[in-house]
Amino acid sequence: MSWTDARADARAFWAATRKEWRTLRRYPGSFLGFIFWPIALPLAFVFQAQAFSGGRSDTMAAFAARTGTHEVAGFLFVGWATYMWLSLILWGPGTSLRTEQVRGSLEAIFLTPVSRLVVLFGPAVSQVVWAVWIFVVVGVALWLGFGVVIGPAEAIRALTVILVGVPALYAIGALFAAVVLRFGEVSALVQGVRGIFTALCGMSFPIVVLPEWARTVALTLPPTYLIGDLRQVLLTGAEIGQVIGDLAILAGMGLVLALLAVFAFRRTEQYARRGGRLAQY
Amino acid sequence: MTLAIEAVGLTKDFEKGRRTIWQRLRREPDRRETFRAVDGIDLRVQEGEIFGVLGPNGAGKTTTMRMLATLLEPTAGHGTVLGHDLVKDARAIRRRLGAVLSGERSLYWKLTARENLEYFAALYHVPAAETKERIAGVLETVKLTDRADDYVERFSTGMRQRLVLARALLPNPSLLLLDEPTVGLDPQAARDLRERVLELRAEGRTVLLTTHYMEEADQLCDRIAIVDHGRIVALDTPQGLKRDLKATEVVHLELSSPDHGEEPAFIGRLNGAGTVTHRERVDGSLRLTIHCTSARDLVPLVIDAARAEQVQVQNIQVLPVSLEDVFISLTGRALRE
Repeated sequence: MSWTDARADARAFWAATRKEWRTLRRYPGSFLGFIFWPIALPLAFVFQAQAFSGGRSDTMAAFAARTGTHEVAGFLFVGWATYMWLSLILWGPGTSLRTEQVRGSLEAIFLTPVSRLVVLFGPAVSQVVWAVWIFVVVGVALWLGFGVVIGPAEAIRALTVILVGVPALYAIGALFAAVVLRFGEVSALVQGVRGIFTALCGMSFPIVVLPEWARTVALTLPPTYLIGDLRQVLLTGAEIGQVIGDLAILAGMGLVLALLAVFAFRRTEQYARRGGRLAQY
Repeated sequence: MTLAIEAVGLTKDFEKGRRTIWQRLRREPDRRETFRAVDGIDLRVQEGEIFGVLGPNGAGKTTTMRMLATLLEPTAGHGTVLGHDLVKDARAIRRRLGAVLSGERSLYWKLTARENLEYFAALYHVPAAETKERIAGVLETVKLTDRADDYVERFSTGMRQRLVLARALLPNPSLLLLDEPTVGLDPQAARDLRERVLELRAEGRTVLLTTHYMEEADQLCDRIAIVDHGRIVALDTPQGLKRDLKATEVVHLELSSPDHGEEPAFIGRLNGAGTVTHRERVDGSLRLTIHCTSARDLVPLVIDAARAEQVQVQNIQVLPVSLEDVFISLTGRALRE
């Protein structure tokens, strides 16, 4: 690929992001929908935790020993906020590709000389908007409901963690997109993976409570690092330097998964070109 | 003259049905039947011409277009588009190719016309400095300048189809592929689009279009390939194709004829003044299509033959030869059958 092509693809990447943002802006109702759930879902778990602990100091101390924070509400809100954003990302690329396929715009895109990486990863940046929105809602809810204040420094550190985590999570979504191109259907797989992430990655509990084998598996999954690091920088006051090891692992996973997604997407694109599946659904 | 498209033995096979995941996991042999959609098509489209591919639904027109647009890999055969190999150099082709293949739904309805074009201009690698001017130009070409900032969801079908054409013009293509561009349009919108296509040729662009509207092919195309069952059955100018029919007029006859006995005698009395190319019985009537060089000579013979065989002429229609007649004479069936 020439330098001119690379520059043109970079511009196309930005155009894909801008297109997603423009479309998002025209559905303001979806933002309102994401005010309710990031609050209601973790709130139920907060009440559950209060009921189980009975408000005793020894149970709270046990919780703090395992999580590094006394903020039960913060711990749960951050976990579930990450889960919701994660779900959006997992569904995002596959659903978006499927929508393009059904609408007929996928063929129109494939008629252009743009790199397929732009098609695959272009909409990823817009996902940051959702992450920011969900975490803002959670931040405000924690402040108003539980007096947990997340300052600008913590917010910037959290954004850094999110930005490092985006490639890994989006690459998993991109793998699902490849599956869409191959099989035209992805919901069973997404539901399965979402279930594994919910069970193992510590959305509502610290992974130290998992059995040894499950913890080992959890440590191979990117969301485990993302959730853990977000909690550390938001709730325990950890600096980026203190989670840099985790972030390096997360970035490494992102690279490997992105390469895998590109490879899978290229293979399935070739398959679609042979079988005429770009316009079939 | 330089060739915009050259295809030799272009063939595309598809598997019928699907192979289940279970069959794949068990590595069972693929026993699906193969369906040949395009069967060894040879094409040579010259620069600057409007070349039509005419045929009924399922004839292989769209599959051929998709192969030439690099969306489908041929099973066999090879070809070049704008001098680039179809398979090895697909990206180079896509840089200079405009195509309308997927219809008006392939736009983003929640974006304006301009926003749609801005997005695709970037995908087509239009330089940033030229984008604004290029978009204004294509909008002007398709007469949508005054609606540029309206959401596409508010457009009529015809306007959306024109916007799809505008999108195809963004890379300033020297070759345009238009697959059934007027399907679903009202007569006025279809006429507008045809005018745009003629303007594109006047600008020096090559246009390859598929259609199953013979009037459209007749009106627009410099040359036409008639395809049926994945093969080219005839290729010439519209006039050349009609000339090959060795007739200038077509007489459609409807006779009341209670049994089949008079049919050979009736036809025999026409003294070879015309050739019966189609006959069918509908509710006790016999319908004949007769190709002839002069209806003025044939019609009196028809009246005499009817009187002699005691059949009643219910209807006579004389029309100039059309591409539909050419198609019927080549394939034995009508375009819309």
